[in-house]
Amino acid sequence: MIASVLIGAAIFGYAIWHFVKFINKSKKGKCAACELKNSCSSQCGIPPKVK
Amino acid sequence: MEIALIGNPNTGKTSLFNNLTGSYEYVGNWSGVTVEKKVGVFKNNIGHLIDLPGVYTLNPLSKDEGVVTSFFLNESVDRLLNILDASQLERNLHLTLQLLEFEKPALIGLNMIDVANKRGIHIDASKLSEVLGVPVVPVVARSGKGCDKLVDVIATKSIQPTKKNLVYYGKEVEEAITLLTAKISGKTNHSARFLAIQYFEGNDYVKDYVNSIADAEKLEAITANLELQLQKLYESKSLANFIYLKRKEVIESIVADVARKSNSDIPLSEKIDSIVTNRYVGMPIFLLLMYLMFMLTFDWLGTPLSDGLDALLTGPVTVGFEKVLTAINASEFIHALIINGLVAGVGGVLVFVPQIFILFFFISLLEDSGYMARVALVMDRIMESVGLNGKAFIPMMIGFGCNVPGIMAARTIETPRERLLTILLTPLMSCSARLPVYALFVGAFFAGNKAFVVLSLYVLGIVVALILAKIFSSTILKSETSLFVIELPPYRLPQFQSLWRSTWDKGKGFVRKAGTFIFAGSVFIWLLSYAGPNGLNVDMDHSYLAAIGNAIAPIFAPIGFSTWQASASLITGFLAKEAIISTMNIIYFVPNDASLQGLLADYYTPLAAYSFMVFILLYIPCLATVATIYKETTSKKWTAFSMIYAFAIAYVLSLIIYQGGRLLGFV
Amino acid sequence: MFGSLKAGDKGKIIDISHVGHLVQRRLLDLGITEGSEVCVKCVMPFGGPIMIESCGQCVGIRRREAVQIEVERI
Repeated sequence: MIASVLIGAAIFGYAIWHFVKFINKSKKGKCAACELKNSCSSQCGIPPKVK
Repeated sequence: MEIALIGNPNTGKTSLFNNLTGSYEYVGNWSGVTVEKKVGVFKNNIGHLIDLPGVYTLNPLSKDEGVVTSFFLNESVDRLLNILDASQLERNLHLTLQLLEFEKPALIGLNMIDVANKRGIHIDASKLSEVLGVPVVPVVARSGKGCDKLVDVIATKSIQPTKKNLVYYGKEVEEAITLLTAKISGKTNHSARFLAIQYFEGNDYVKDYVNSIADAEKLEAITANLELQLQKLYESKSLANFIYLKRKEVIESIVADVARKSNSDIPLSEKIDSIVTNRYVGMPIFLLLMYLMFMLTFDWLGTPLSDGLDALLTGPVTVGFEKVLTAINASEFIHALIINGLVAGVGGVLVFVPQIFILFFFISLLEDSGYMARVALVMDRIMESVGLNGKAFIPMMIGFGCNVPGIMAARTIETPRERLLTILLTPLMSCSARLPVYALFVGAFFAGNKAFVVLSLYVLGIVVALILAKIFSSTILKSETSLFVIELPPYRLPQFQSLWRSTWDKGKGFVRKAGTFIFAGSVFIWLLSYAGPNGLNVDMDHSYLAAIGNAIAPIFAPIGFSTWQASASLITGFLAKEAIISTMNIIYFVPNDASLQGLLADYYTPLAAYSFMVFILLYIPCLATVATIYKETTSKKWTAFSMIYAFAIAYVLSLIIYQGGRLLGFV
Repeated sequence: MFGSLKAGDKGKIIDISHVGHLVQRRLLDLGITEGSEVCVKCVMPFGGPIMIESCGQCVGIRRREAVQIEVERI
């Protein structure tokens, strides 16, 4: 019984952690991983004239 | 210490970066592999190395080049490491001269000496160093030869350039430079001379920067005056051209000093080119290569390997888990969670690892050999007719691996309109995460001609993209300007090691995702299918998952799959396309793909299966792709558009296929 | 004119000013400008792009732009 609880807790803990991590990471897109995003993000867009 | 790696496109900056930092970044043999900055730590910890996209000049035309200019203006950097392609010294030196004007400590890595030697060009590195006033170290970035020396020079020597103002731009320009520097000196940390020259060249990034610290009108007046003077005195076409020619004069004298030419043998490249870009067989060869790639991935090699892996997972691995679970006396809940949830969900995705690696191997091969740029050339005529250019084909090919880097690769497209169009259409390329769905369904319904059916889906993605390109470019994204100038790098025999590393680098994301997000997703989907309004361990048809699926299932009735199972897997597919397979494995309650295939026949007709695959191909970009589209376009409108139009087109096409197929008598 | 050159022909560029500004800039970046010697490597069918070589480097440009480049056969 204890083993079941431990395994269950481990699996669900791991799952929740990665689920949150994945959603956060995906939402940011790839640029966020770049260490120089500060000076880059300002340049990431398409010029306003075609928007 | 911050060291920036900078040079012309495709000169081996990223190869060198990998060698110097011991990391592994994406390399390829085409211009524009690196579209963003990458930071790594030097092997012996002397500082950070920053890999920048390749540029021909600091005056940018495209988005990825803008990254470099804004880096120069906004980030602090201690040293510049300029990589030169020895076989294209003259062109490369244009950038070098601009870098030296930046007046930061610099050194030069002279790369591709082997290529130059083959072409009969011999360069005296020490003489070049003497002329430029900075250290020059010969390196072979691909093999790592000379890298130790380079690190020594960076770490130990003080490398302040010994010469100033290598280029004398003529009396008039120099006077104007003095005038302009007087206006901005003291207001900036950058070299005022550098800013002045870039300003005169019409560099928009520098212009914005300078205008923010000085009076724009006065600067404008100086420039206009100078331009007029030059026109009168020298009949120069433009100020930028005048500056270019002055630099060119200096470069010619440098090259005459340091380079020696001898006879060269006809490069292998030209022989290959005479075949693959031949006007008659170029296109057929490309299609043949694609066909071979699909046959190997889906038929000859990939499927037997996947089947083997599947047998391993359903046999020994499941039995092993069962044994352990029985031994520790696990509860029924945990037993079901592991066997029906995790083994089915994660295992169902892992089975496709061999096929995905084979596909990535071919994409790496295309990138590394130099064929990629040729494909762009061969495809340009077709792309032009739909309002795009051949370069847009490269992001689409990359998109076959994963849409996210594909969309990033669109940065190399110079005109904003074509870039936006490419970003919007790249998600229609069938990425590797959609591959498991096809593999599963073709195995169940079209076993006789697997590769052909899958190829038809990939081609459908391309054809839809081309048609939409034509529609979009003649309606909402109309514009006359189009630009297509592409550098065709010499062919290179891919090295097995670098090929394997780049395959692994692309493929490991898939494996990692299986262990993290797919794992997590499997747990939740299983839980939703295990629990229902009436408690735990309910019949699957009365679970929460069924309730959610049933809510939207009627929408899909006209296109052939009104089951709640299909709807539920489509919802999870938005998070990640691999999740579709996990979800199906879990909800159809079988631990492996072979038995799932048997079961699917009860729920789908072959026609509905094809309709389902088409829908999966097009219906919506995954969450990571949507986020990247938003990041790259910075427009909520276009991001929403990319999702909505994809869904609409998927629905319409599936409808046509399913209803049309039924009318024609297919089942 | 570039239009009259066939695969394998060599020429020297004498006027590039009629070509669009962006293409001109990009060609300049690649070291191709007035006075450069170029060799036509191949011509794609159906009015597709052409591949030219200059100083050992191959570049693909569109036919439409190529015909605007004034070339002197050598």
